[in-house]
Amino acid sequence: MQIGLESWLFAVALGTSLLGGVLGMASGIFIVPILTMFGRIDIHTAIGASLISVIACSCGGAAPFLKERLTNVRLAVLLETATTSGALCGVFLAGLIPTAYLYCIFALILLLSAQQMLSRRKESIVPAGASASSSIGVGAWAALRLDATYPETPEREVRYAVQRLPLGMALMYGAGLISALLGIGSGVLKIPAMDSALRLPIKVSSATSNFMIGVTAAAGAAAYFARGEIVTSVAAPIALGSVLGAVLGARILMRVPNEKLRLMFVGILLLLALQMMFAALGIHLFGAAS
Amino acid sequence: MKAVAALPAPLERTLGSLLHYGTYIASLVIALGLALSFGSNPAGQRIAGVGIALFIVLPVARVGTMLIFFLRTRDYRFSAIAALVLGIIVISYVVGAR
Repeated sequence: MQIGLESWLFAVALGTSLLGGVLGMASGIFIVPILTMFGRIDIHTAIGASLISVIACSCGGAAPFLKERLTNVRLAVLLETATTSGALCGVFLAGLIPTAYLYCIFALILLLSAQQMLSRRKESIVPAGASASSSIGVGAWAALRLDATYPETPEREVRYAVQRLPLGMALMYGAGLISALLGIGSGVLKIPAMDSALRLPIKVSSATSNFMIGVTAAAGAAAYFARGEIVTSVAAPIALGSVLGAVLGARILMRVPNEKLRLMFVGILLLLALQMMFAALGIHLFGAAS
Repeated sequence: MKAVAALPAPLERTLGSLLHYGTYIASLVIALGLALSFGSNPAGQRIAGVGIALFIVLPVARVGTMLIFFLRTRDYRFSAIAALVLGIIVISYVVGAR
């Protein structure tokens, strides 16, 4: 039992989850790079632990969104057929893809996250009924009853329609695959799928994405768990640290301007991407002599 | 565009409570396990492992709850969708166990 390692893991999870909470960003993407780069932990063990942390953060954060009726649970369960299928495929691939390629794919996802962090999200919802005449409009999915209303403000109830469902499903399959392969929540892929393909209001897409992430990660984690790749001494402190960090993060009011924090996050993402790229080539910048 | 009392629907409320208390319980079990293993108690790791398993089961229980709700409201299309999600997770576990 290495108390030092466990405390370090706990601190890493607490810190990233705290910081992530301030920007409303999932912190799962930081856990695997930090564990493999600085902790020299095997990437499969790191991915397993990260998946548990992703589940914990998703489940822990879901209740307020559900109470405010921002989560579209019908749409979520439908899209989960795609994300869990993708996760199943990712689980297969994780066992086949060489570690160096895993590092490469991870670096790409980190770069994508950095780019997304820099560009702002655009609201592009279609009010229900407005596009009923177009072929990809509301009518096509009427039988599924996915369209819903959400409280934009406590007084204003806004109705929205789900658009381009097949494209959304395809993107969700990819998000699920990447989630199981890299041990991340894949919010970086789910959010664009929901914003630009399904055309959901930002609040609804954030809440629904968070809601789905837990099930998607569970589909991946179930296989890692059965394979014995979830190491308790690593996953337990990571999970606990993430939950505590998320709880504290929601309460602490940050005094740092949001814009500066955002740029700092972009910087960290780029650094980690660079490091993962180097690691793929067998060059370790930190803790090399181990 | 009408003003509606902001009361959550029953399904949303049930799911919110399940996930909230589930996270609470799983975290407590992990904390207990870690505390015991800090005191070099051999049971600590096993208890922490149970907490981790609880976290994996929690989203599955959430889909199961939705399945029951859809069955009760005779929404068979969405019952089938929820059952499919559960089935895929089970397949993932079985594939991993081989």
